[in-house]
Amino acid sequence: MPLLRWLPLALITLAALWLRTHDLARRPMHADEANQAVKLGELLDHGHYAFDPRDHHGPTLYYAAVPVAWIRGERTLAQLSETTVRLVPALFGTLAVVLLALLAAPLGRWPAFAAAGLLALSPPAVYYSRYFIQETLLATFMLTVVVCAQTWWRTGLTRWAIAAGVCAGLMQATKASAPLFLITALIALGFSRWGYLSRPPATRRPRRDVVVGLLAALGSAAVLYSSFGTHISGIRDALGAYTHALTRFGAAAAPTGHEKAWWYYLRMFGWYREGGLVWHQVAFSALALAGLGVAVFRADRFLRGVAFYTVAIIAAFSFFAYKTPWHTVHFVPGLALLAAAALAEMGRLRTGRLAAAAFTLIVAATLFQQTWRTSFLRASDQRNPYAYVHSSADVMKYRALAEAAAARSPDAPIRVISEEYWPLPWYLRGMPQVGYWTSPPDDCTGALIITSPTLADVVRARLRGSHRESILGLRPGVFNLVFTPEP
Amino acid sequence: MLPRHLTLALSVLALTAAASAADTVALKVEMPKPLFAGTPRPISLANLEPAGAKRPDIMVPAGTTLLSKGKPVTSSDALPVIGELTFLTDGDKTGIDGAYVELGPGVQWVQVDLGATAKVAAVAVWHFHSQARVYHDVVIQISNDKDFKSGVTTIFNNDDDNSAKLGKGKDLAYVETNNGRVLDAKGAPGRYVRLYSNGNTSDELNHYCEVEVFGTAGK
Repeated sequence: MPLLRWLPLALITLAALWLRTHDLARRPMHADEANQAVKLGELLDHGHYAFDPRDHHGPTLYYAAVPVAWIRGERTLAQLSETTVRLVPALFGTLAVVLLALLAAPLGRWPAFAAAGLLALSPPAVYYSRYFIQETLLATFMLTVVVCAQTWWRTGLTRWAIAAGVCAGLMQATKASAPLFLITALIALGFSRWGYLSRPPATRRPRRDVVVGLLAALGSAAVLYSSFGTHISGIRDALGAYTHALTRFGAAAAPTGHEKAWWYYLRMFGWYREGGLVWHQVAFSALALAGLGVAVFRADRFLRGVAFYTVAIIAAFSFFAYKTPWHTVHFVPGLALLAAAALAEMGRLRTGRLAAAAFTLIVAATLFQQTWRTSFLRASDQRNPYAYVHSSADVMKYRALAEAAAARSPDAPIRVISEEYWPLPWYLRGMPQVGYWTSPPDDCTGALIITSPTLADVVRARLRGSHRESILGLRPGVFNLVFTPEP
Repeated sequence: MLPRHLTLALSVLALTAAASAADTVALKVEMPKPLFAGTPRPISLANLEPAGAKRPDIMVPAGTTLLSKGKPVTSSDALPVIGELTFLTDGDKTGIDGAYVELGPGVQWVQVDLGATAKVAAVAVWHFHSQARVYHDVVIQISNDKDFKSGVTTIFNNDDDNSAKLGKGKDLAYVETNNGRVLDAKGAPGRYVRLYSNGNTSDELNHYCEVEVFGTAGK
């Protein structure tokens, strides 16, 4: 019965979808999310996007969000909501779960479902599927490339080579780090001489298909970077992004503030206590480590390829001094495959199926507990390893203050005078009287004035009339002073 | 006659005032070591006590003692996820992990039961001092009614928009430091001291390292 055969995967997918889409608006917008959401809003407002290689990644995130916004009836930045923008990575994150099940097929049916289930419940995978940044899209496109390439090799159909190429192009159009994943995957393929490579590809013209796939990759990346042909210089700028990256991250570059120890990522997959709370993925990591052992000792080319890719990617990201927690999203599919391999190996033992089922339940339960804590209970808590330099809940209070100020004095400006103010442009979107200054203007008077502590004295001296002063947070340890004119 | 009586009366008043002044002393509060991990951004705000600045001494009657040490504490969040309510009166105000209690989000209160009615001279509070943050809607009250429905004296209230629904206050917000906040209770009578807060600029949660109530046992 085909329906029953796929029922477990359907249930896992539904669980993944719920975890990724439930109560999406609850967490305050991170500065990076807000910045990207405002950029999307500009695309909706003006119908135009131009790639900026200095401070932004590729355009796929914004273009992918446009149809979601339209379907939800949001046509402008002012109408855009947190739920809408976060639905984009949420849907991609859910698709990744299905793709991993397809990719894990060589391990067997139940291990493939287990791999999908582990990804569905993974704390970083869930957290960043609810986070409007590029990382989940990049990871999902990577899985799509591998699944399409695998299918092409098996079926020989050129359309799968084209699909793999298109997805590789979409990876490049998502983030400039895409080649790192693609090249590592190719090396892993060569290292393992993957199962499918042990026999020739089903096509009789593999070279032609590879060329067609490469052209599809270049084409899809070019289409997006050129804003669908309306901004051709975007293609040149896409290459220029690497020059900017070298300037920013090269040996001679100044510290970015995101430099961390080599073991930073490993710690996130281990066990540690911070501020009275315990964060761990130790059961999952132990199972993945067992899977690594299986890959080493069993002559399984697929597993060896997965093991090589996963270790190489973790090592590469650990080697770079620049580290941010969202990179862990790229480790999870490989670790889930290795953990599933360990379960499959366990299942082959006498009475092993029972043990495998018990291990699956224990690991799933610990992952769910951590996912609940990181994505729902303490989603913006500074002790949460994934809530990186996160906005505090206070940012959700600025809008009400600004609206009240605009109602009192519709013609007066609302001034944000601060060296750093994100995510406030998101929360004050659609309010034409809001302006932003990084240094105090000559006259600071307005309907509402929001300023940083360092500029507060200068701003106060440039105000006319008396003002009530209050304090609102921006992120942990950083807050603003709010001046409200008194009648 | 009148000038002589007036002189005598003034002399008596002056002597009484002098005697009264001699009976008050500056309250000595032991401050924990500062915990800021990095250099906090310089803060100079009219409505903010500058971080680390020494505040004026609070004059309290001679014989004032610490009344709250080891006294029972209750809270609107009876089962805090992190820490225990006993931490408030255990004397440990270091502020390190394991030395503070974390209450849930929104408006929350803690209440110290002094065991008997006292004349409260001062209340000192340390919410959290390992990071520059400001707690919202800090309200401190004293009463003989454990439910705080009658005979309530408010000694501090910085809820400028009445968001905690306890009435608007005019006291100033302040940045949490190792100096905490020491408040003059002016001898307000009461057995219970209740402290409210409504999250802070870093998160929605409420924290306490220590609460100290100073005064004299009295009727």
